[in-house]
Amino acid sequence: MISRLARNTNLHILFALLIGLGAGLWYSWRISPVTYVDANPALLRADFKDQYRIVIAAAYAANPDLARARERLNLLGDADPVAELSAQAQRMLAAGDSFEQVRPLANLATDLTQGFASNPIAPTPFPTFNTPAAQATSAASETPAPVIEATETNLPQPTTSFEQTPLTPLIIETVTPRPTFTPTAGPGAPFALVGQETVCDPSEPAGLMRFKLLDSRRNEKAGIEIVVTWDQGEDRFFTGLKPELGHGYADFVMQADTTYNIRVVTGGSFVPNIVAPGCTDPNGVAYTGGLLLTFQQP
Amino acid sequence: MSSLNIIKILIALALGITLGLAYGWIIEPVEYTDVPPNILREDYRVDYTLMVAEAYQKDFDTDTAARRLAVLGSEPPATLTSAALEYANRNSFNEVEIQALQDLLSAMQTYNPQGSAP
Repeated sequence: MISRLARNTNLHILFALLIGLGAGLWYSWRISPVTYVDANPALLRADFKDQYRIVIAAAYAANPDLARARERLNLLGDADPVAELSAQAQRMLAAGDSFEQVRPLANLATDLTQGFASNPIAPTPFPTFNTPAAQATSAASETPAPVIEATETNLPQPTTSFEQTPLTPLIIETVTPRPTFTPTAGPGAPFALVGQETVCDPSEPAGLMRFKLLDSRRNEKAGIEIVVTWDQGEDRFFTGLKPELGHGYADFVMQADTTYNIRVVTGGSFVPNIVAPGCTDPNGVAYTGGLLLTFQQP
Repeated sequence: MSSLNIIKILIALALGITLGLAYGWIIEPVEYTDVPPNILREDYRVDYTLMVAEAYQKDFDTDTAARRLAVLGSEPPATLTSAALEYANRNSFNEVEIQALQDLLSAMQTYNPQGSAP
């Protein structure tokens, strides 16, 4: 009898322990879970990460510090930051955002790929304000400030240290004379059509016009706007929006018997009278072929 | 049941609760993903604000700057920028960065979303 009671007591103790454990877990996971503060940008929701990338690209457009932009992108924990930038640019275009909004992302993707800034750092004039110099004062003393609704989509992995990198790059002067100087075209030099190949491949979409844009070093260039016009319309697109096919790649599907004019917006290159070529398969059946247009900066 | 046994049961209950809380808060706390930017660590928030300020230096677009700052929380954009500027001053940011934040603060202090800035 006594041993049964003792056994029951032990069971009661075990039962109480389990009830307590369950109650503790329920409280700590459901009622009062750990509250996160000091989160890392890598934990952000996907739309906030998008916003973060937009702001990184916008800041880079103002201050082309590539190392800093890269470090900021790394905070987001993307496996391939360049691919993410390109994919986001595509999503934004598909969502109807303007080219101007997408361009900084494409430019940053291009610069990260090529490893240097397309546009050198230029001093930007600070705006002149009529108001007195700003002071870091308490908001209570300021004019009631508006609360803004966040409408842009975007943004920032745990416990990685974040280091500020210098905003301006270190310039190391060297006195080593250069024996020769070869002038090269700048990043904004016009693109010239250097290749126009007919592509007869029945496995490809009919009338596919592919573009490849290269800089003077034959590196593919993303973010170059191309305008295709024909008698009934116009289409605009950028290179680099299909990074899996190359950062300087873009394409457009032509209709048979339609004449197209091509304009590369950067540099103003213009190629008129482009038509889809006719091809014949091994069985003698005619079909609409494609074109590969290669543009390069001098 | 003796009072001793009742005490043992209560102790077991308390021990269970303690173990449960320790496990739920320390060993295996709730993991957050998809968090909003308002719980970013202060240095990340400041860097984000600095990026907005740098972009503002180029386009002087107060609407866009205010909209970008709004993702950091419900505080007014001037308050967010002011906090970032204080952090920048405390942590020896360089002159260019502090100037950019000051310019953004000036813009946000006079920003009126209903109309143009005065």
